[in-house]
Amino acid sequence: MDLAIYDLKIHKWRFIATIIGVCLLFAVVLSFNGIYRGFLLEGLSFIKTTNPDLWVVERDRGGPINEQSILPEFYHYNVAAIAGVAQASPLIYYPVERKIMGKKRRFAIVGYDVFGGLGGPQDIVAGHGIDQAHYEMVAHQKLGVKVGEMVRLGLHTYRVVGLTSQGSDVDGEPLVYLSLPDAQEVLFQRDNEEIRNQRERLWQNLTRSVGLSKSEADKYLARLLPDTHLINAVVVKLAPGADVGAVSRQIQKWLYLSVYTTDQQINLMLQGRLAKPKAQTVLFRIILFIVSMVIISLVIYTFTMEKIRSIAVMKLIGAPNWVIIRMVLEESLLLTCSSFLFGLILISNTYQLFPRRVILLPGDHVTTFLIALLGAILASGLGLRQALKTEPALALGGH
Amino acid sequence: MEVLRIEGLSKVFGSGRLEVRALEEINLSVSAGDLVALLGPSGSGKTTLLLCTSLILDPTAGKIVFDSQTIFQKNGWSGGVDIRRLRREKMGFIFQSHNLIPFLNARQNVLFPLSLVGTKGESADNRVMELLEYMEITERADYLPALLSGGEQQRVAIARALANNPRLILADEPTASLDTVRGKKVMELLKKIAKENQSAVIVVTHDVRMIEGFDHVYQLKDGRLNLG
Ligand SMILES: Nc1ncnc2c1ncn2[C@@H]1O[C@H](COP(=O)(O)OP(=O)(O)OP(=O)(O)O)[C@@H](O)[C@H]1O
Ligand SMILES: [Mg+2]
Repeated sequence: MDLAIYDLKIHKWRFIATIIGVCLLFAVVLSFNGIYRGFLLEGLSFIKTTNPDLWVVERDRGGPINEQSILPEFYHYNVAAIAGVAQASPLIYYPVERKIMGKKRRFAIVGYDVFGGLGGPQDIVAGHGIDQAHYEMVAHQKLGVKVGEMVRLGLHTYRVVGLTSQGSDVDGEPLVYLSLPDAQEVLFQRDNEEIRNQRERLWQNLTRSVGLSKSEADKYLARLLPDTHLINAVVVKLAPGADVGAVSRQIQKWLYLSVYTTDQQINLMLQGRLAKPKAQTVLFRIILFIVSMVIISLVIYTFTMEKIRSIAVMKLIGAPNWVIIRMVLEESLLLTCSSFLFGLILISNTYQLFPRRVILLPGDHVTTFLIALLGAILASGLGLRQALKTEPALALGGH
Repeated sequence: MEVLRIEGLSKVFGSGRLEVRALEEINLSVSAGDLVALLGPSGSGKTTLLLCTSLILDPTAGKIVFDSQTIFQKNGWSGGVDIRRLRREKMGFIFQSHNLIPFLNARQNVLFPLSLVGTKGESADNRVMELLEYMEITERADYLPALLSGGEQQRVAIARALANNPRLILADEPTASLDTVRGKKVMELLKKIAKENQSAVIVVTHDVRMIEGFDHVYQLKDGRLNLG
């Protein structure tokens, strides 16, 4: 005789309401697992999609993502000249907020050498890569543009030639790839009016304060104008068999720059920008889990305790303990398993609606389920302890 | 044939100033087919005697022999008895109220003790119907206890107590929630069961009008048992 089923049938609506509550709780726990995974994936996404052998950045800077690094563009020639380096390419990585199609959007601009340089888009799902020196862009689908559309950025208009589906900046915003000179222009160059003003101020300075003649001032002006030939990093592919350590030391010693492997770059992020949000997410995950377990335990304990009188009657009639244990465990497992299942179905159908990436991993589900199951059994254990201690005389009220 | 023998049974609740001597040196013998009435004022120890007999409460002293087996003996051997098994297989309980399982309907409440001893399927269903018919409660078979009247609940409880053809039936004021006519009917039923099944039946009651036709009538007063 399946006592648990009979009991749950009678309390059908309360059971369903409880399942809805606990299922939402599980959905939140599972979504938080996914938020944690998504946060790490997005945080390291640009590093991992670019994935060069070495990142060369400004001396003593943990750049280009964890902190800013600025290098003159020509440094990539110097790096390329080091023994063991097969290829060295200039790279720009720069998070910005600009208007795209009339709407303010955050994204990161990646400028790279479109003619065979490292660091370009890896996973084009529509259109093709950039093959003109100017005015073409490849963007992540998330930016909401289509292949062939014209997008205005700064002074110029760029044609969308390709779309990617992977890779985002640290905050989960889309990446926009441009040719190196285009990226430099978008990032570092002001509009024509501002350039004219700046020129004028400098020229006035040179002729009045410094006292140069007009022709001399014209001669120096070009040199003193701000240099826009800047990059954030040089990415390196090593020659086959080259020793990573040796090449890094060479670059550090001779070029006075800092060098990181991709793994070191990832560690910089994990110990830097991502460290606190990661700790926060982990902490929240733990708190959420504890809260869920407490609530599930309370629910199961209450389910058991309110049957304590019936349990006393069963003992009085002579029911053996396993009949009681089975009833309590069955209810608790039914509650936990169906709540988990519905929670899983719920989150699997809604995770795309989250503002940031949520990555649901079967491994996380299994772990969560097993821990929940353990919690449910422990909670049942508490209820069962009471149930088995119950005196059958309790059934008679007076005793 | 003797079903139950109680020798020198005592029960003391609490200790020191709070000590209550609920039962003192009770001796009682009940045979198969015997219908025994237990009378006595409130607080005289009637319920306590039933509970000690079925070892729902542990007696303080004395000896209990049930169905040729010593199930309790103070200061001596008394281990090795699976009392719950004895209860489900050989004893039936009818109490004043609140002893149906609330989430099982009438039919399932009667089925429950059958399932405990492994009676299943059609034979179990037939036995349940037989008992419900016997108690004239078939048309309420699918009702939950909460939807039954006090008398109907009591009849279901009796059907449940009879399910496994117990050797001993212990009934604590089974007629208290019933009117006189219904009460009389329940007593008639218990009488019939005692004779037909050769069960020993011990009935506790306040009400002297209910005890006509009983084989033995005992009087409990201050924990002491006298022939009434
Ligand atoms: N668990 C207990 N702890 C302490 N004293 C108890 C306990 N149970 C019963 N008693 C006491 O034992 C005595 C006998 O109680 P019992 O319930 O057996 O009386 P009763 O004859 O059934 O009375 P009633 O007719 O009112 O049901 C009473 O004085 C009661 O207060
Ligand atoms: Mg009583």
